Amino acid sequence: MSETTIIWKKCKKCGKLQHPDHLRCIQCKNTTFNIVKSSEDCKLLTYTILTAPPSEYRDKKSYAIGVVEYSNGLKAIGQIKSQENLKIGMKLRTKVGKLTNNLDGVIIFGIKYEPF
Amino acid sequence: MNKVAIIGVGHTKFGKLEDKNLLDLLCDASLQAIENSNTNDKDFDAVYVSCMLAETLNHMTGIASALVDRIGLIPAAADHIKNGPASGGSAIKNAFYAITSGLCDMVLVAGAEKMTHITTPGSITSAIATITHHNAERIHGISLPSLGGLLTRSYMEKYNVPKEWITSIAVKNHKNGMNNPNAHFQKEITLEKALNSPIIADPLRLYDTCPVSDGGAAMVLCSAEMAKRFCDTPILITGVGQATDTHIVYEREDLTVLKALQICSKQAYNMAKKTPIDIDVAELHDAFTILEVVESEDIGFFKKGEGAKAAFDGITQIGGKIPINPSGGLKARGHPLGATGIAQVIELVWQLQNEAGKRQVQNAQTGITCNFGGFGNNIVSILVERM
Ligand SMILES: [Zn+2]
Repeated sequence: MSETTIIWKKCKKCGKLQHPDHLRCIQCKNTTFNIVKSSEDCKLLTYTILTAPPSEYRDKKSYAIGVVEYSNGLKAIGQIKSQENLKIGMKLRTKVGKLTNNLDGVIIFGIKYEPF
Repeated sequence: MNKVAIIGVGHTKFGKLEDKNLLDLLCDASLQAIENSNTNDKDFDAVYVSCMLAETLNHMTGIASALVDRIGLIPAAADHIKNGPASGGSAIKNAFYAITSGLCDMVLVAGAEKMTHITTPGSITSAIATITHHNAERIHGISLPSLGGLLTRSYMEKYNVPKEWITSIAVKNHKNGMNNPNAHFQKEITLEKALNSPIIADPLRLYDTCPVSDGGAAMVLCSAEMAKRFCDTPILITGVGQATDTHIVYEREDLTVLKALQICSKQAYNMAKKTPIDIDVAELHDAFTILEVVESEDIGFFKKGEGAKAAFDGITQIGGKIPINPSGGLKARGHPLGATGIAQVIELVWQLQNEAGKRQVQNAQTGITCNFGGFGNNIVSILVERM
């Protein structure tokens, strides 16, 4: 896992921050965006520890998933490295790296948050 | 606009049905509905079939065409309607549109899912998780139960609600399921047992989640004008709504609010000229106990934050002010995905016809459903009334 920047979109017309998958703004249908990077630490909004993983994660007994918020208001979801001492409001560090191989054997990259 | 009536229903047992395949379940439910509606010698204009995972779990496509062929309804128009676990609600909505527009007179809706033959750990979870947002959610190993876990924790934190209030819904729905001969589970559970069942997606436990089930459900619909020719007690569909919300769950302003349900239930209420106060009985989509809580609020029965307490206090049990899931809900009736939305409306039909036996809600005249596709990102609501 390496320190990284995550790329998001900010609508040029209404300012709505959103996932880069959106081709038109989810709030105003505008099609022009600024790129926003989030690399700083974030805050845990809610979490769960999943003990019945889907088959893509068949090699794991359990893992934690969290919804986080960055200081610019942007939210994201990812796995959390630790399953212990998780607390709503705690600070997390953003990391990106390999998470698993999917059912076709392709390496899946994603976000894994690390407690301090 | 033509008024739309339900004149017959069919409902297989839900559960682990080893000797039935997907097409058997669709046929069994359909033939029951045709028999029940006295339309054995009638031609149908259209057939809408709902099933979420036919391709993935049963390696079948073209199931609507297969159904009309097997039960002798050729040349009826036949379509396979897919909206995840809300496919059943969407199929009924399409039937409603077809009849209300005047383009069709006689329509069959049939839904089924065959799931329990898949036994590899994680396979069903993975197949259902294909409905989540691929790049934001699915790659991170997010399953539907894990979204249920995230919602449960957010809700408990935001409204300062103890877990037993939420989990009490599983106890209520199991109790209701005891009196439903079609239910997957027909036994009572204690709150203590539910609170101590194995963790699935903390704080969501096994007894907070619905089972994996096989089953089929079907109904025959026609214009209200014709209905009395076939059925003494037709039930009218007077309100239908459907709305979507963000595919990525965290992109919603508030995780504990189901905006799509607020919108689609309002559409259904407005179409029927009703309000939540007029509802006598509801069938909500309790795939997880927390969903019944949040849905009971966003469909207009309770203020935000008060749904769990209301359930714990017995307001939503049979005999309470607003009975929810007298059938046992997804929790006890079971959740064969494509059949669920149809089974919900069938339960309301039986309740409104005073045919629900030991689980009868007294003097039920008006009912509403919430059929939940994805994780609240595509919801269908159907309002029914006595004719
Ligand atoms: Zn915008």
